[in-house]
Amino acid sequence: MSRILIGYLDPGTGSVILQAILGGVAAAAVTAKLWWRRVTSIFRRGSRSDAQAEGPGSGPAQS
Amino acid sequence: MSDATTTEASWVSGSFRDYDSRVFSTAGQILRSLSPAALADYEALAASRFFSEAQESGAVVQTELLADFLPPPQCKPPAGFAAVLRHERIPFLSWPFEWPFSMLKDASLLMLELMENALDEGLILKDGTPYNVQWRGATPVFIDVGSFERLREGEPWFGYRQFCMQCLYPLMLQSYREVPYRPLLRGQLEGIAPEQMRNLLSLRDRFRRGVLTNVVLHARLERGHSQRSATEARQELKRAGFKPELIKANVGRLARLVRRLDWKPGRSEWSDYREISAYDEEELRDKEAFVESAIATTAPKLVWDLGANDGRFSRIAAREGAYVVAVDGDEVAVDRLYRELRVEGSERILPLALDLVDSSPGMGWRGSERQRLEERGRPDLVLALALVHHLAIGANVPLAAVVDWLADLGAALVIEFPAREDPMVVRLLSRKREDAHPDYGLENFDALLARRFTVARREQLGSRMLFEARPR
Repeated sequence: MSRILIGYLDPGTGSVILQAILGGVAAAAVTAKLWWRRVTSIFRRGSRSDAQAEGPGSGPAQS
Repeated sequence: MSDATTTEASWVSGSFRDYDSRVFSTAGQILRSLSPAALADYEALAASRFFSEAQESGAVVQTELLADFLPPPQCKPPAGFAAVLRHERIPFLSWPFEWPFSMLKDASLLMLELMENALDEGLILKDGTPYNVQWRGATPVFIDVGSFERLREGEPWFGYRQFCMQCLYPLMLQSYREVPYRPLLRGQLEGIAPEQMRNLLSLRDRFRRGVLTNVVLHARLERGHSQRSATEARQELKRAGFKPELIKANVGRLARLVRRLDWKPGRSEWSDYREISAYDEEELRDKEAFVESAIATTAPKLVWDLGANDGRFSRIAAREGAYVVAVDGDEVAVDRLYRELRVEGSERILPLALDLVDSSPGMGWRGSERQRLEERGRPDLVLALALVHHLAIGANVPLAAVVDWLADLGAALVIEFPAREDPMVVRLLSRKREDAHPDYGLENFDALLARRFTVARREQLGSRMLFEARPR
């Protein structure tokens, strides 16, 4: 059965690892984005209006 | 139950690597033998939404499952037989090293787009080669239905390396470095290896889009892990929880990268040929009328337009219902023609970049995996307009040899012969010694032509003579 599982093309060891790395980077980017949203959401909740919160330099410290 | 045991059937020579799915042809039909595993993959594919959409749009070759069709014994796949598919016949096959930049780019993008859609429905391509793409005129068609398989959890894309070697690197080389990929792809069917690609790039290039990861890191990892088996790496990947979403992210990134690759060539020698050619408008119309009438009397199915340049005469032949292979040695002109045809949505003119004095040889296993031009289908009519002087004077092919070659194609012929005083001939001769090409002259050409062809019609247009001829 192993022949069917392997397929006819040698994927190349380095190429497989590279895909894992690139995938890992993509996954890390998603994680970081989620994490960043969570952090910024704290400030967003703290501000008076969304418009203010999105402007540069706005935040609870200035309100 | 129908079967093909009584008729002649044989494997298609380029299809033998995949034991589960192989193409054979019998009685002019293109058929595919599937193993049990390949049939299960096909059933999953046939049930997917993206596949029916791709059938509808023509992005994937028209395919149907033949119930109860038994292939002859010599055409059963080595991995066991389960079923036969029938495919639409592609009018004329071509190879990536005959495609100008924009064609290889579009073929690559078609594969990536199909991959992205397939991944959404639990399917994946098992390879990444542009040989899986062919053309209906200037429209790319993915032909290897056997390449789709069910996605297995934790597996990467097996075809990524192949895609890099045969699609991404060639496009990068031509885009970033103005190094033409066609001689490289013709030199090695497998494509450009990661390490080879890295060595072709400068330090500056390493910082261009996509190079650091897809080339430099790729080459380094390949070298660093050359002793490890890919199976080991795959198992580790599976344990680490590699997900289809990650393949999709990679494929999406590759598609964005390829879309941004661009080739802006300088003006080539002949791409403005029509503007500087020897004809005035009236003569050009007469030439068109001559060609039109030859097409009307021949009613060809397949036309080869050799030296097609801007495709003016290819378009006439296509309008009259022929399928046209428009060949030119100038990649810039072919690329431009392709882009125009693509916008027009042409499915009748296939533009190919091919140097007729250094044409594609038989390649691959036993020299027959990728056939020569002449072995892929014979034309009914050959257009050789503004060609002879380039072969005879530009490339030093004796006039008699040019005529013999055309006669051996066995097709009707429309040929243009510019006399020695024609401005283009003068220009070509000016690069030669004064006594060069004594055989080049109308009288000699006439005699040579009469030896192998019956001339049906001739017309003098300025310094050029047009002939319509049939092989003897």
